[in-house]
Amino acid sequence: MKYLMKAYWWKLLTVILLIYTVIGGFLMPAPRLPILNETIRILHFHVPMWFGMIIMFLVSVFYAIKYLSTKNLMYDLYAEQLVNIGVMFGVLGIVSGMIWANFTWGESWSNDPKQNASAVALLIYFALIILRESLQDDHQKARLGAVYNIFAFAVLIPLLFVLPRMTDSLHPGNGGNPAFGQYDLDSDLRMVFYPAVLGWTFLGFWMATLKIRAARLQKHLDYE
Amino acid sequence: MRKTLSFQPYFCPMDQIIALIKKDLLVDFRQKYVVAGIALYVFATIYIAYLAFNNVITPAIWNALFWLILLFSSITGLGKSFGQEAHRSHYYYYLAKPVHILTSKLIYYGFYEILLVVLLTGIFNLFLGFPVENPSLFLVNLLAGASGLSVCFTLIASIAAKSDNGSHLMPILAFPVIIPVLLLAVTNSRKIVFGASLADISGNLLVLVCFNVIIIALSFILFPYSWKN
Repeated sequence: MKYLMKAYWWKLLTVILLIYTVIGGFLMPAPRLPILNETIRILHFHVPMWFGMIIMFLVSVFYAIKYLSTKNLMYDLYAEQLVNIGVMFGVLGIVSGMIWANFTWGESWSNDPKQNASAVALLIYFALIILRESLQDDHQKARLGAVYNIFAFAVLIPLLFVLPRMTDSLHPGNGGNPAFGQYDLDSDLRMVFYPAVLGWTFLGFWMATLKIRAARLQKHLDYE
Repeated sequence: MRKTLSFQPYFCPMDQIIALIKKDLLVDFRQKYVVAGIALYVFATIYIAYLAFNNVITPAIWNALFWLILLFSSITGLGKSFGQEAHRSHYYYYLAKPVHILTSKLIYYGFYEILLVVLLTGIFNLFLGFPVENPSLFLVNLLAGASGLSVCFTLIASIAAKSDNGSHLMPILAFPVIIPVLLLAVTNSRKIVFGASLADISGNLLVLVCFNVIIIALSFILFPYSWKN
């Protein structure tokens, strides 16, 4: 994080990757699959949101553990802002998924295990934000926030990666539904999908560094 | 009674844990209205469910109601576990190790949860019946689910007790985190109500037990931090 806040090259990379994602995602050839048709292009925008969310939360947990072992409030600031960005990714992912589901599954919410799991994940992190707001003392806020953050992430892993796999999902690639992994045409999609994941995740880190800078400045202003 | 209150600095961990459990028992014994209030809460909730679902209850609805009422009464019962004596926590902070405090709380509130489950099942049986085809398996699954509830709520209560309005915060923090446990337990329980055998639910039950182990391990790692003031 410290390195990311100083270096510039990755911001340039983010811009290039995202321009490529938007142009390539909409204009490059995509496989024609039943039901999915052209909506398969949401792959480059909806799925990277979840990748971004998980990576933000993972790095946030890393800084929460670091805070508990060093008691340095800077790490807590990193953890807090990364959670905020992760929640934003999650909301965008769930909304984009609902719009897509409206066209393909016929309704925006259909009791799909992955939909439920992601809604619960967002509930957990909203609870974390409320917990932080309800505490006054900076160190107490940081400590209890870190404890809940670690606990929440440990609950999140089985929720997102184990439970949905135990039942059939409506999502492409599950329960016999078509997805890009099962066809030979997938290389076209992959050429955009992987850069898209990288680009959106970097964008998340960029936003987090900006928010960390802003919070730090705000703190300086408060003390003066 | 007086003797148990005068704490000596115990060095043997077992002695300390037993003393802490005795202390919890004493606190509840002194404030009998809290325990009576929880019993009344369970009774009143089930009675309202009985009046509202009169004659329309099916086994599937029965199962959902059972777990919902268990969830709400556990959160009322276990939410108090740390808030009850928050003003004395500095005192314990110097006397006992956090690991011992957590162990004693987990044991005490584990028994508390079992009592709650017994009470709940009894009253449910009385008013709403017990339409379960495989009662012993139902109880095994119930025990696995209830232990998950009690461990999770004990840790969350230790976090919520630090806030000014802990009783409001408790359900907000606990409900989202408990959903995986509840999801597994309720699904199992629904299958059991309709006559599933152990082989049908063993996979889910195993995941549930593993999940409980993870929660217990995490509680022991994280509790020293949430306990510290």
